[in-house]
Amino acid sequence: MENKIPSYLLQPGNDQHELANAKVIRLSFLDKTLMNSATAVKSIYVQAENASKENFIQKISPHIKLISLIYLVLIISFVSHHKAQIIITIFIFALFIMARLNIFKVYKKIFFLAFIFGFIVVLPASLNIITPGKIIFNIITINKPLHFWIYTIPQNIGFTENGLKVVSLIFLRILNSVSLAMLIIFTTSFPSFIKSFKILGVPDTFLMIISLAYKYIFILSRTIEETYFALRSRLSGNIKNSKIRELISGRIFFIFKKSMIIYESTYYAMVSRGYQGKVLLHSQKKLTAMDFVTLIIIVAFGVWIIYL
Amino acid sequence: MDHIFIEMAEDIISLKNINYSYYGKIPALKNINLSVKKGEMVAIIGLNGCGKSTLLHIINALIFPDSGELFFKGNQVTENSLSNKSFGKELRQSMGYIFQNPEIQLFCPTVFDELLFAPMQLNLPINAAEERADETLSFLGIEYLKDRPVFMLSGGEKKKVAIASVLTMNPDILLIDEPLSSLDPKTQTFFIDLLLELNRAGKTIVFTTHHLDLIDHLQPRVAVLTEEHTIQKTGTASEILNDEEFLISVNLIHEHVHKHDNEVHRHFHSHYVFHKH
Repeated sequence: MENKIPSYLLQPGNDQHELANAKVIRLSFLDKTLMNSATAVKSIYVQAENASKENFIQKISPHIKLISLIYLVLIISFVSHHKAQIIITIFIFALFIMARLNIFKVYKKIFFLAFIFGFIVVLPASLNIITPGKIIFNIITINKPLHFWIYTIPQNIGFTENGLKVVSLIFLRILNSVSLAMLIIFTTSFPSFIKSFKILGVPDTFLMIISLAYKYIFILSRTIEETYFALRSRLSGNIKNSKIRELISGRIFFIFKKSMIIYESTYYAMVSRGYQGKVLLHSQKKLTAMDFVTLIIIVAFGVWIIYL
Repeated sequence: MDHIFIEMAEDIISLKNINYSYYGKIPALKNINLSVKKGEMVAIIGLNGCGKSTLLHIINALIFPDSGELFFKGNQVTENSLSNKSFGKELRQSMGYIFQNPEIQLFCPTVFDELLFAPMQLNLPINAAEERADETLSFLGIEYLKDRPVFMLSGGEKKKVAIASVLTMNPDILLIDEPLSSLDPKTQTFFIDLLLELNRAGKTIVFTTHHLDLIDHLQPRVAVLTEEHTIQKTGTASEILNDEEFLISVNLIHEHVHKHDNEVHRHFHSHYVFHKH
């Protein structure tokens, strides 16, 4: 078998002048979308790295963390006075310091989520249209109150004292719940946390599916990133956006097709190693004295908050 | 002694007139007849796309042929016979399959879970399974990967974990698709030694490859799959490797150009045996 190299390959490469005149291709929408997926992948790395640190919080059993999370979220939901909620906020902040996480970065995310879901979304509830009461900040005054069906729009519309109390309480509840969830996410490896759901009676097969889905999100993100790099390295000159969209949609189809093949092969690999319709997962390590002490502290803190 | 044992041993796997095609259109295997004796080492060699992996899938009863028969320890393997739990379990317990692409073979949350998966499905007591997994990790020098999620491993690490995950089953028959792919040279040597030792201990080994040097190292019985998806010849390693004309005819060795200092020249090429001038 003889190699017959096409003659153009034996000639010098592209004319430098032509390259200099070529317009730079714009891939901004592509950049943003695909780079975000790459960032997601990197955050998984960061999460896993944090989880493997040898600090007090990281060492606690995922079982205890899961029980504590459920218990404290229930406490946060039941407690309806600000003082207790603020104490919980301080307590969680102290836990973040003990976990030696990057407080600034983590709290940026927490406040963003709490601001969107705990403030912006519920802010209208503080208006006297929804929560009647004494107006402490007037926004608008209309000529006369408007009535239609069972609703009344008062003459003065503004924030009420009761309304702001309700909104601030909801904000604190969401802030505390989100920060608690973030604390667990950043200090526990995802696989071991998923396995801790066994204590709630979640079947192994279901946990296996979640683990697989998590793995494929990672693989998919990496495939998308690699596809992006491959596109960038080969695209040059002025290409229409419609052409780029066509290329991308073609690649997406390819990725889905590839995923299907991977799923099938993974299934074969499972069958080959004895899978017969029911998965048995390995249980976690036994609980240590430190785990029990942590649980007692959390329970005692919750009881104290309730009776505060 | 080993040779005499193999001659007298029973067929542990037997394929008769196997035909398989993808989607009923693309032929993958045509009229395959092959038997493997207990304790034997068999290599299926051929170019990419000739059906080597498909053949291993059929031997492991992951897919079933369009026509023809597969026998395991004298019992015919069909979808029906596999639904008999004890037969299905015996077959799965006896055969360990190391896939070419470790990416698809690893599906558990962590490396340790991966090694425990098969022993646990096969109902091995948990303490024994954990002991096996720990021993295997240390044997392969990958203890440091124990608690790592599998998607955070490098290509070589994934391959090692895939090998370890099958070894913990302690199967009597090892099916290996391209044993040396994704392994660095040092690990390749380690793995070749391991295969020889396992075979000496009585394990049956069936592997696929297109590297003739591996055949020379392991000296297995060889079945040559051609681009026409049929087995054209079977024989001992030396019978196959010394039949230069045949290897050229099935494109397993070919002429190529290379350089020695500044001298460029052309000769038949296969990295080990036929590198002659």
